[in-house]
Amino acid sequence: MKTKRFGFAGVIAAFALAVSTLVAPSANAATEIVVWADESRGPNLAKVIAAKGDWVSGYTVKVVTFSSFDALKDAFDKATDASGPDIVVGGNDWVPTGAKSGKLAPITLTAAVKARFNQTQFVDLTYKGKLYGVPVDINNVAMIYNTKLVSTAPKTFGEMVSNYKALKASKGLKAGLCIAGGGMSWGAHSVFSALGADAYQFNSRGGIVYGRAFNATTFGKNVRTYLMDGKKSNGFFPATDTGCKDNFLAGTVPYAVIGNWEWADYVAKGFTMNLMPVPGVADGTYGKMFGSVSGAMLTTFASKHGVESGAKSLLTNFFASTDGQVRYQALEKRPPAEKGAQADSTVSAAQRGFGSAASLAGIPQIGAFLNSNKGGANYWDSAPAYWTAVLIDGKDAVKEASKLASIWRANTDGGKGDL
Amino acid sequence: MTYLIRGKIALFIKVIFVTLIVSVLLLLAQSAFAQKEYVISAFLAIAVLLLALTYLTKISIPLKFFIPGILLLTAFVLGPILYTVTMSGFNYKTGNIISKEEAIVQIKVRGIESAPSGQTFDIKLGTYEGNPAILASDINTSEYFISTQGDRIPLVASALTFNEYGVAVEAPNFTPLTDSEFATADKLFTGARFTFDDRFFIALEGFEAGVVSQQVLEYLPESDQFKNLVNGGIYTDNGRGNYALTDDKNAILEPGWRAPIWFENYSKIVTDSRVREPLVRVFLWTVVFALLTVLTTFALGLLLALALNKPIRGRRIYRSILVLPYAMPSVMSILIWGGMFNTEFGAINTLLGTNIAWFSDPNFARVAVILVNLWLGFPYFYLISSGSLQAIPSELMEAAAIDGANPRQIFRKITLPLLLQILSPLLIASFAYNFNNFNLIYLLTGGGPRNELDGEIAGATDILISYTYKIAFGSGTQDLGLASAISLIIFILVASISLYSLRKSKVLETFA
Repeated sequence: MKTKRFGFAGVIAAFALAVSTLVAPSANAATEIVVWADESRGPNLAKVIAAKGDWVSGYTVKVVTFSSFDALKDAFDKATDASGPDIVVGGNDWVPTGAKSGKLAPITLTAAVKARFNQTQFVDLTYKGKLYGVPVDINNVAMIYNTKLVSTAPKTFGEMVSNYKALKASKGLKAGLCIAGGGMSWGAHSVFSALGADAYQFNSRGGIVYGRAFNATTFGKNVRTYLMDGKKSNGFFPATDTGCKDNFLAGTVPYAVIGNWEWADYVAKGFTMNLMPVPGVADGTYGKMFGSVSGAMLTTFASKHGVESGAKSLLTNFFASTDGQVRYQALEKRPPAEKGAQADSTVSAAQRGFGSAASLAGIPQIGAFLNSNKGGANYWDSAPAYWTAVLIDGKDAVKEASKLASIWRANTDGGKGDL
Repeated sequence: MTYLIRGKIALFIKVIFVTLIVSVLLLLAQSAFAQKEYVISAFLAIAVLLLALTYLTKISIPLKFFIPGILLLTAFVLGPILYTVTMSGFNYKTGNIISKEEAIVQIKVRGIESAPSGQTFDIKLGTYEGNPAILASDINTSEYFISTQGDRIPLVASALTFNEYGVAVEAPNFTPLTDSEFATADKLFTGARFTFDDRFFIALEGFEAGVVSQQVLEYLPESDQFKNLVNGGIYTDNGRGNYALTDDKNAILEPGWRAPIWFENYSKIVTDSRVREPLVRVFLWTVVFALLTVLTTFALGLLLALALNKPIRGRRIYRSILVLPYAMPSVMSILIWGGMFNTEFGAINTLLGTNIAWFSDPNFARVAVILVNLWLGFPYFYLISSGSLQAIPSELMEAAAIDGANPRQIFRKITLPLLLQILSPLLIASFAYNFNNFNLIYLLTGGGPRNELDGEIAGATDILISYTYKIAFGSGTQDLGLASAISLIIFILVASISLYSLRKSKVLETFA
């Protein structure tokens, strides 16, 4: 009986082995370049790449789409040699961690390819002097205003506050200006800088001065003047971004800062609005906002898959080319990063609007500083706490600004070696 | 029916079923092996063997019932615990993720730098006298040459054929690759060094461009060091997962690798004040939060169960309504509550006519957390209390009433002690669950408020698990080794508290 049982075991083992061999996954074909992207970019990249199949001769390109940007980041963090992509389309803040952890591979672009972009865009994708990707699209925020509440573009920050106070009771306004896109740190940087707290301090040659921060006294006093009544918030600028979009769409907030990725949604809701940077304290000045880029980045997996040169060619022939970006942004609707694509007649008014807002007041994000916590804290993580401390907890606007400024000084001073 | 699945039919079904399970496991083992996950692959192979032995022989009848549970327990409980214990002894964080072998390969690649001139060439791939070669063109200087991995052959323009951009595409003795050959040539050409001059070589950047480059870092395998070929600097293994400059320990090469640092992550919890101080505060709040949650949810659930234990009109409707918070996905409920507690636009401040900064003030934030958890948790205790009340013999209450006990005495002396005896394991389980109630904290307050401007790491509502998450994943630098060490401490704490409570409640004796 035992022999019979073991006979059965043998049969089953053989059968199981046969089945598993039949359905075993085949290794990545060496002629396939795998690109990972999020739920928005992925389907559009797949369509554009499939429509013109010869971006890199001899290769096929497979685009893998993830359900969200966070899911993509999570998958990339966990990617292994076998499962990882050859190219990943992601945020510039992935560069320092991806490079440190050995998941991103450096690339060197020829002068001709570099000339297709604004050179500051490469700063976003650089870590310790090496470039890790090519710029694909511009991510920036801009201010929109509800033309049913305010008919003309405000010239100064004070004008917005005056408009809010004048309309507050009659229109039932819940706030004057709020942040709908980019959060209370990145999104609110245009408000920070409009009131005098520009993170980056530039020298006369346009270079960034490290270890120096904004004037906390000037900024703090402006916060007191424009955003507070004594020790309390005057209600113009909420300390959080919760509910901003809903209230703007409901007509109870006249001004909102939104990201270019949200524009289509506002348009789809039939909203009437105009687009501009946040006006500064003085007429003709504007708050600086991020004109950062997302990048198509080469991974170290490409080399392991035997497609590194093919992947590099895809980066230059498709992602960094006018033709590639025009075709892609015709579907994706973000402002293209490549100069030729920016000038193309197919670029929409919204893409141009955000593009021109970026050119008026855009600054690079500088990946090396995004996650720097040199000095014990990170500026961008800490910035939202300023609004809470001052507008909600009623702490001194100048003292809290000094703390924020010292964090920035420590971050840039300690992090400049990562550039 | 029972007869039908006996004998040969039953054996046939068993064979099919076991075959399918074994096939799937073998497939997974093979896949894990292909991905170099050897431990997982070995475990799956052993599982296949054990399953086959258990179900296809008469080696042990009890094992037929236990083996699935044993395998799943090993895979999803023991495995992660062992992995966490192991990782807590490693320098495992952003920058120290991969293996040393991989790190060496990548440092070598990053040790290639383009020449100071920044010169690049348009290239055409092919072969020259049977060897891999590139046909290089500099259209600005009209410089053309063929380069192999050992030689450089200058060319004159008159001997070449050009494309519409002025790039040479054909040359004597040079056989260009066809489109279909590109992919197969990728490995051959990638990483190859085509001759430029004595100091520099040309490295491929795709199939169309070559960059004049130099090797700056050289690996010395005999001494396990890297040497900077430009300034002579020597980088040695610092024992912590990085090559560091001999003269400056802070100057390290990236990427690093996972390296054993034994008990350093544990000692960091005690010695690093930035980790230790928040940890003590967070631990105290975690205990208070878990206790308050259990007490409030149990109290409210029991109160409602007692109220609805009596026959009142519309009892079924009330019961259905009370279960609704439990039926709704907690993620949705938490997010909705988060919106309702919003200071400026939230429904709670609007209804109360207040302007309370719920999530900005530490005390209000803690109250909000307890209130939301009360909403989420009371239906559970209502349900189990209702069931338990039914299980208490009514004769006991009737006898007490006859002896002259009032309802309050009956509840205090009979109902509650009996209920506690029945519900003790569930109360302890609820405490352990809330000790690690990550979802609530993460979604409702994010652990805040915390004063980032003063350098605080942990927020006022952070519990141990959310604090650990912040260390592991919350910022640009992820410290998985330290997070593993803290996780292990949490595990020991929860296990100790639960075991102590179980012993005190004498619940285990009922299973003896």
